[in-house]
Amino acid sequence: MIFLDYQFDWSVITDHWRLFVQGAWVDVWVAVAGFGFACLIGLGSAILRQSGVPVFSIPSFLYVQVMRGVPLYVMIVWVYFGVANVIGINFTNFQAVIIALALTGSGYTTEIFRAGLTAIDRGQMEAARSMGLNRAWTYWHVILPQAFRIVVPPLGNTFVGLLKGATIISVIAVPDMVFVANELNVTLFTPFEAFTAVAIILVVLVSFFSAIVYFLERRLKLAT
Amino acid sequence: MSHLLLTYSYDWSVVTQSLPFFMRGLTITIQIAVYSIGLALVLGLIVALVRMGPPPLSQIGFVYVQIFRSLSLYVYILFLYFGLGVAFHIQLDRITAGIAALTLLNSAYMAEIYRAAILAVDPGQREAARSLGLGTIATFVNVTFPLAWRVAIPSLVNQFTDIIKDTSVVALIGAGDLMYQANERNSFFQRGFEIYTAVAAVYFVMVVIVAQLAWRLERRLQRHLA
Repeated sequence: MIFLDYQFDWSVITDHWRLFVQGAWVDVWVAVAGFGFACLIGLGSAILRQSGVPVFSIPSFLYVQVMRGVPLYVMIVWVYFGVANVIGINFTNFQAVIIALALTGSGYTTEIFRAGLTAIDRGQMEAARSMGLNRAWTYWHVILPQAFRIVVPPLGNTFVGLLKGATIISVIAVPDMVFVANELNVTLFTPFEAFTAVAIILVVLVSFFSAIVYFLERRLKLAT
Repeated sequence: MSHLLLTYSYDWSVVTQSLPFFMRGLTITIQIAVYSIGLALVLGLIVALVRMGPPPLSQIGFVYVQIFRSLSLYVYILFLYFGLGVAFHIQLDRITAGIAALTLLNSAYMAEIYRAAILAVDPGQREAARSLGLGTIATFVNVTFPLAWRVAIPSLVNQFTDIIKDTSVVALIGAGDLMYQANERNSFFQRGFEIYTAVAAVYFVMVVIVAQLAWRLERRLQRHLA
């Protein structure tokens, strides 16, 4: 059998597990950083979109369409090789991937925040305003706390999406777990073992974060 | 900051010079996307049916969906192209590996879309069909699926746009697609901004076209409800 002549050598993984853990950690924190910025941009962009002022809402709409229409890979190299040239700042590869993840993610988070804000009854804003709260104060104390419950589960899914997307960051030599696997593959020529290890780590990470999202979803639903 | 913006002299002629390469890449990108969409639609439906089958099958379907959704496309491609080739002598060519990766990943997503749509069909429809004497398969083919299909279409087409975007990752194993050509042209011209902006625009336009089609199709399919 041709299937049987390959000697699996899992010691490659067990001997270098620390490298994989470090690589996976890079994936996670880059995804967390990108997601954090994506939430900030998304919230701002969603408020602009909801403002009802065309000068703000139309650019926000176009921004979302473009960010969602461009692949993450293109975004990464565009930031790293393109934008860096134009504005004359050399981003480090970490900065470039975090910016790219934030831009791509913000397209999705904008729509999630928008859905969350739309779901809050207009009467809430009107009631708060008529009681003398100003607009910003109303947003912070009345609208956002209610919208929070609605947006958390889909935001969690966006984070999981960004985490999966983050496995591509080795294209600009960010030393994540895929980078580690590629390095081991080049030196030891064990692609099956190395990429199986990466696949298992990714399934574990994604399952872990999905479980958290699922738990939050149930918690927030029960509370209402 | 503003003076920095002005020191860069744009040279968009690199884009027009690259057009023949981009066109060649675009045909491969579209080819990969179309095959992946077609195969994922079929495989996704099969997985959905397995997932909704009797217990041993449903558990297998559940595990399939959970695992295959969790992996990223890049990991799939590396695994299928390098991993299987070395360990099992299954050496896929680059485009096939890309199509296989996209199909496996999206079959899991589409299975969940189909499942949600099938569950959304009023059980009364199925019961009525069964009580009229239709068998399980005839009920599914003639009653449940046509109703579920209309519900599933918008989400499925959403998934198509993701597939189109994800084809860019296939460039990493040198499939000769649009993104691969862009990387090649960038190495040649060293004009990252112009090249990648152009390529981003092409992906954006493809996504917008498919999203528009989805919107029209959705309205058409729901016309009878208005």
